[in-house]
Amino acid sequence: MTKRFSLKNFLLNYLVLVAIVLLVIITIMVEPKFLSGENLTNIMRQFGPLSFVSLGMTFVIIGGFIDLSVAGIISLVAVVTVSLIDPLGQVQALIIGVALGAFLGFLNSMVLISAGALTQAEALFITFGMSAVYSAIALIYTDGATQHMSWLTGNQSIFDAIGSGTVGILSVSFLIFLVSLGALWIFHNKTYNGRAISYTGGNKVAAELSGIPIKRSVVLIYTICGLMAAIGAVVLFSRITTAAPIIGKGYETNAILSVVVGGTTLKGGKGSVLRTVLGVLLITLMSNCMNLLGVSPYMQIVLKGSILVVAIWLDNRKEQ
Amino acid sequence: MQTTFAAFGKRSLRAVTKQKAVIAILAMLILMLFFKTNFYTSYNLLNVLKDAAVNEIIAFGVTLTVIAAGCDLSVGGVMCLSGIVSIKLINGGMDIWLAVIIAVLCGALVGFINGFLVVQQKTEAFIITLGIGMLIKGVNQQLTDAHPVSCTNMEYMKIANGKIGGVVPNLALYMIVIGLLVYALLRFTSYGRNLYALGGDYDVAKYSGINVVATKWTAFVLSGTMAAVAGVLLSSKLNTGSSIYGDDTALMVNCGVVVGGTSFAGGVGGILQSFIGLMVLQLLGNCMNMLGIAPYIQQVCQGVVIVAIIWLDCYGRKRKREDV
Repeated sequence: MTKRFSLKNFLLNYLVLVAIVLLVIITIMVEPKFLSGENLTNIMRQFGPLSFVSLGMTFVIIGGFIDLSVAGIISLVAVVTVSLIDPLGQVQALIIGVALGAFLGFLNSMVLISAGALTQAEALFITFGMSAVYSAIALIYTDGATQHMSWLTGNQSIFDAIGSGTVGILSVSFLIFLVSLGALWIFHNKTYNGRAISYTGGNKVAAELSGIPIKRSVVLIYTICGLMAAIGAVVLFSRITTAAPIIGKGYETNAILSVVVGGTTLKGGKGSVLRTVLGVLLITLMSNCMNLLGVSPYMQIVLKGSILVVAIWLDNRKEQ
Repeated sequence: MQTTFAAFGKRSLRAVTKQKAVIAILAMLILMLFFKTNFYTSYNLLNVLKDAAVNEIIAFGVTLTVIAAGCDLSVGGVMCLSGIVSIKLINGGMDIWLAVIIAVLCGALVGFINGFLVVQQKTEAFIITLGIGMLIKGVNQQLTDAHPVSCTNMEYMKIANGKIGGVVPNLALYMIVIGLLVYALLRFTSYGRNLYALGGDYDVAKYSGINVVATKWTAFVLSGTMAAVAGVLLSSKLNTGSSIYGDDTALMVNCGVVVGGTSFAGGVGGILQSFIGLMVLQLLGNCMNMLGIAPYIQQVCQGVVIVAIIWLDCYGRKRKREDV
């Protein structure tokens, strides 16, 4: 028996897609420049750092937690990686930077597990404190100064490629994004540990009683989040060629925004990295369109905030 | 006689171990005795009170929402908003007190919206208030074009910058008066008791005939109102309204409330605890300034203290869960 098609359910489930299509149509009507090749490349570039951070954040939210420390992780990874390019060489700097991000995420999970913090609110405040520590370490490490890649003497071809290189019509950062998206999707849907994360988020007590290793899930989700934040940091500083010790500020709320707008529910258990891609796409397209239409940056923040509120509200309506 | 003393000793000991925040404050006070600084001067101690006043007033409001098993992360935005609104209105030629009242009503309105979303629509409090906070930050920037605005009417500064009898700062007095009012509300009215009841167990409170929706909703309105009052005082203290204040205020204040022992699980806590909890963070900043510690190191210490105390809070609850 086929389910009867209901417009209401369709709209609730695919609201983001509908919103994206509407947004694109309206912008094309008002501003035909939107479809120019230049603007499309631009959108692909803007898709950069936030999408990586949001992919990592997706797992945290599916697992029923939250992570505010990505702001600190991005700042610290960016300044450490840039400062290591000269003394150690670019490959080593890249590896150490990404490993540092994963380690900081791991550290978060250790603090949470040792405290037995299993609710979103507890995780929120602990990761907020950790974020303050990480960003302060970034400030101490650089003495508050911004690191410029143009001041370095070492070879930095990898970072140049990540920042501005292209393969065919796709930018390198976009390719890295596709690869990590594929890897994370397979991890989430096809492996035991990936599925365990969903069960952990669905109901922690039930998951633990059914023998799901929820501690391992917590370690995994925070490590992945730290890792993806580190990759996001590398993409970010490669593109803007500077690394300020406060570079990651604001990424935590924007990442949560994209994940939730994409339709991953904050209650945990449900969601997918693919949905997050839609969320990031909507946010990116929205700022691109609003820039083209000449909306002031402050109004853009207001709109983003309202979209977040409406998305959470709708998400909640769907549950009931 | 002996036994009552022993019982008293035991009880106070338990109260102290429960109050990690009190221990932290005592430790800081004792530590400061060993350093030769200006910490123990009446000037500095009054200054601590004055600096803490704005955040403490916000914390009193936030405490209500936390007791009701919610929390309010939009207070930072509300604080800026009310300061900007009142200064803009006064610069536009409005009477000071009318402008202040309108600014406070703005805060109440935001609280009302928070309450609608959290209580009536049953969304997750901390994420929705985070979103509202972000929205208001945008509004603040739009209102001021991201520039700070100063008040041209010098009378406005007198609200927060005076001293009673030339000694006690006005701000400290406001804090104490508001604190006492909220304390009385929680301790001596049926509203306060209902709030604790619904924080402890929402469904039980509902079936006991408490109007849970209205009670919890009011908590959010009061929280917004008090954040707005604090915002007016801050803008009067600095004679400036700006959209950049309060980026960390919301999380800091909520942390302070939890540090004091008001739990996110709801139903426990109080004004005194929140006062002490936030005082830990304020005093820590003052001590480190007195000792001449570099600002970045201060940030590390503050982060570590927040993590440590919330860690202890969680750990205590975990032990309790495992005992049962």
